[in-house]
Amino acid sequence: MSGRSQHSGQTLVAVVGLAAMLGLGVLVTGFSMLGGLTGQALADCDSGLSAGSVAIALQSPGGGATVGASEYGGSGDPSSGTVGSSGVNLDSSPDSYAELGGTTFATADALGGLAYGTPLRITWGKHSAIAYKRDIGLGGGPIDGYPRVVDLWWEFARALGIPYQDGEWSGVVKVERPPSTGAGNTLGQTRLAEDPSGGRNAVACAASVGGPLPVTNGPRAVIEPNDLAAAPVDAPVAVKGIIAAGNEIVGKPYVYGGGHGLPLSEVAPSYDCSSSVAHLLWGGGLLPVDTDMTAEEFESWGLSGPGKWVTLYASSNHVFMYIAGIRWDTHNAAGAADGSSGIGWHPLVREDSGFVARHPVGL
Amino acid sequence: MTSRLLVVRAAIVGVLLVFAVIALLVGGSGRALAPPRLRRADTTRAAPARAVPTRRSARLGGFGTPRLAVTEFADVYINWSYSNVAARLTALAEASVGQARSAMQLAAAQVSADSTLRGGGIANNGTVEAVAPVVGHPDEWAVVTLEQTTASDSSAYDGLAPAWHVTVASVRREPGGGWVVSGWQPES
Repeated sequence: MSGRSQHSGQTLVAVVGLAAMLGLGVLVTGFSMLGGLTGQALADCDSGLSAGSVAIALQSPGGGATVGASEYGGSGDPSSGTVGSSGVNLDSSPDSYAELGGTTFATADALGGLAYGTPLRITWGKHSAIAYKRDIGLGGGPIDGYPRVVDLWWEFARALGIPYQDGEWSGVVKVERPPSTGAGNTLGQTRLAEDPSGGRNAVACAASVGGPLPVTNGPRAVIEPNDLAAAPVDAPVAVKGIIAAGNEIVGKPYVYGGGHGLPLSEVAPSYDCSSSVAHLLWGGGLLPVDTDMTAEEFESWGLSGPGKWVTLYASSNHVFMYIAGIRWDTHNAAGAADGSSGIGWHPLVREDSGFVARHPVGL
Repeated sequence: MTSRLLVVRAAIVGVLLVFAVIALLVGGSGRALAPPRLRRADTTRAAPARAVPTRRSARLGGFGTPRLAVTEFADVYINWSYSNVAARLTALAEASVGQARSAMQLAAAQVSADSTLRGGGIANNGTVEAVAPVVGHPDEWAVVTLEQTTASDSSAYDGLAPAWHVTVASVRREPGGGWVVSGWQPES
């Protein structure tokens, strides 16, 4: 077992188990009366209804972020049960994973707080396959230096070639969000396309913070004359939420220590670098509302390296970030042409030596 | 009644119970537990062969019922390949009015310049699973579709199961008495 939290599926397990026993009892009774089926036939019948009946299609290796993973479930890990926190029977849906990080849906957000049903392409070794979030879990410490973010249902892990170790296996995998499907998403017409946060906070924030969020048709965010940023119309909702939260505090005075100790949902009278970055990430649904982080702590936040939409640069003294091609910073570090002098959006790329690049999963 | 007759009756009851249990297990739980799958006829539906609502049909009075207008529109919207998507979106624009018309025109223009669709060999196929009126909004309909996106020249969509999607559609009655789609907003 990998520190996965207990969940409230025990009653359902009991009901399903009772129904299965009753059904099997009737089957046995009926078949016995007929006297025509052997024990082997019954065994075949049972195996057809048990785990493994849903095929997991293996693909060639995928890309994405390298993260720590563990396995759970199976005969060697009975305490994990068979019903995910989503209510789905994992034996019947073996292509499942649990997002780690906490004991509730809100706190198990090591992947950004994905919605149930969110597919991930998970690669281990030479194989990859699609798994769907159907559970959450507590998690544990880093694995080979990578944050432990995902628990693989044992049958999914086995399909990837991971040896079953009674729920004790842990290792490094790659995780990648596949593109959204369906005509509306593919044609870019869906209102909530590509929402890695599951819309948990970002939707509400983007809709309510600082009035309507301006958007631009281009692929990059644009700083408007009023110093607010317009988000790419096709950007993930989490990105739009970050930009909306940034617009909310553009121009706030810089005060060292300002903004700390308050819920991230509140607009503080002043901010420093880390509190402002935290406010933006909350706006994107990427930090819980009660988070209070220093610049140094952002050095180990999220995943290593630059992201597609969001990249943080953190050091022990400062943190800034790029969102959809524009920079959020507390001063115009790239010179006079770098926009306003204070907290807000800046158009230029600045010096980043001495900083660690990090990014949220999926962004 | 002989013991032999009792055995035969017991056997018959047993068979009936077996079939009842199998039906319950397969029919009752299969849809809820198994990943949604497109029916074979739907996955092999050739998008170009589908009838496309035309501007002529709309201008001549549209469809006989709001449900039919929405269903026909949705069926064309979700069944296309990279090679015909622009033409089909244009046809949908011509067959619709208002926001739906504008949205289809914009989408048609965008996909014409989108190298990603062609480069990946992307296609979308699906079925219209439900069309239901939105409570409290007499001209709005909720459209539930089951769709699968594929790419013949990319592995990006490999392994992804068909997924449910919801669109809110609006309809308008034309002067001729028929119904046309006037709004189209995919929500997922």
